[in-house]
Order: sequence, then structure tokens, then C-alpha cells
Amino acid sequence: MFSTFDVSTSGLVAQRARLDAISSNIANISTTRNEYGQIAPYQPRYVTFQTDTNITTAGGGAGVRVATVEFAQRPPAMKYDPGHPDANPHGYVAYPNIDMTNEFVDALEATRAYEANVGVIEITKDLSEQTLRLVA
Amino acid sequence: MLSSLFDANSLPVLERVVNFTQARHGVLAGNIANLNTPGYKTRDLSPQMFQQRLRDAIDARDQPVSPTQAMSIGVVQSPQERMADEFKLVDDSLRGILYHDETDISLENQVTEIAKNQQEHNLAINLMAAQFRLLRAAVTERVA
Repeated sequence: MFSTFDVSTSGLVAQRARLDAISSNIANISTTRNEYGQIAPYQPRYVTFQTDTNITTAGGGAGVRVATVEFAQRPPAMKYDPGHPDANPHGYVAYPNIDMTNEFVDALEATRAYEANVGVIEITKDLSEQTLRLVA
Repeated sequence: MLSSLFDANSLPVLERVVNFTQARHGVLAGNIANLNTPGYKTRDLSPQMFQQRLRDAIDARDQPVSPTQAMSIGVVQSPQERMADEFKLVDDSLRGILYHDETDISLENQVTEIAKNQQEHNLAINLMAAQFRLLRAAVTERVA
């Protein structure tokens, strides 16, 4: 019974990781340099999931874990801004190719999935509470 | 004496129902956790098959056992063993729409199943509690 909590928690952790990646992508939507200060537009990160059979329940339910964090290999979005310190000799600045709408829809999906897992945890709590009531 | 007190009524049946619903809840929770896992197929335990087996077990229990049957009873699967089969029965059910990432989870269906399963579980628990109250009333010779 209590392993069900672990399954739902793995869902929470995974969806949270996904939200973290999305907020990182949105925060860096105008980042033109990498962590070493070199001119390189930020590459958006995307989290992938896989079924985690280390977390299982009696009936065969399985948890989830973050498989990889992928870097999108998209060409940067070039914007003409000759005054920008990171502009190339032609006056274009390489910005990260991040679609704000995509990111927000993803964030919404992750939030809803997170909420679904919270709902399941609430029901699991109710089930174990009812069962433990027999003892008391 | 105590075992006949507890086994003669519906307590063993309710116990199986609680076990099954808890196991099924775990499986359904796994489905929700894997909501965005590419390639994940919905898993479930079949309530129909469980109820069918449970009915068979109840019918078998209510049949009077003849001495010759009692001799061979060791060969027959015990109700507990038959019930354990239910938990092994985890089929990749391919109902529902297959999405492009090869998942087929319908959140609404899953949530409904979880809610139904919860009600069934709590019903069995409440019936069990009522049975225990009944026993207590009989033992203490007093209506609590």
C-alpha cells in the first residue's frame, strides 16, 4: 500500500524536473552567451521520461523517472541589432530559438500532470487511513 | 474456534476485496505517474475477472464438502492461491487511442477508475468495521 506513495511521488519529481527545464528555457529566452561568457545562444533543454521499475507496487504498477535531459539542436534565431555587443560582423545577434507558446503549453501540461499525481496521493492517503481505521 | 468465528461470515471476502482494490490502486497510480512517459501502455487489474474468481471461491466455500472431496482438497488450489493469480494478471491493455508517442493513457478514464476503486475499497472497509462491531456487541453482550 505504501509503495503507491512512492509511485505517485516519482511522478511528482519527474513533472517537477520538467517544469524546472521549462522555467530555465523561459528565463534564458534572451541569453546570448553560455556559462563561460562566450558568445553562444542558450540551447533549450527538454526532459524525457522513462518507466522506473525500481519503484513498483504489489499489482504491477510502476513509477517514472527522468531518462535524459536533451538539448534542442535548433539553429538560433538571428535578429538584426548592429549595436548589440554580441552581434556578428553582419550585425546579426544569435538568440535562442525558443517558442514561448510551446513552453507555456508544456508548462501547463506538466502542472496538470503534477496535480493529477497529487490527487492520487490524496486518494492513497484516504485508502490507507480507512484501512488503518480497522486497527483503531 | 476463533478462526470459525472470523471465517464463517463475509470477512474473508471483504479482506480479498480490500487486497485487490489496494493492489489495483497501486497499478492505476503507476498509470498516472507515467502520464507523459513515451511508449508507456496503460496497465490494469481486471475487476471483472477478480469478481468472477471471488464468486467461484464463495460458491465453493458454501458447497458442503464430502469426505472424498476433503481428501483431495490439498490438490485443489486454495482460494488464497487463486486470488494471488489476480495480482499477477497485469495485461498491457490496448484500449483507447494510441498517441504519437505510443502512449494510450486517458487521464479522465484513469481518474474515474481510481475513484470507483476508492469507493469499492471504502465500502469493503466499512462493511468490515460493521462486522467487527457486530462481533464486539456479541462478545460483550452489549450494544455499543
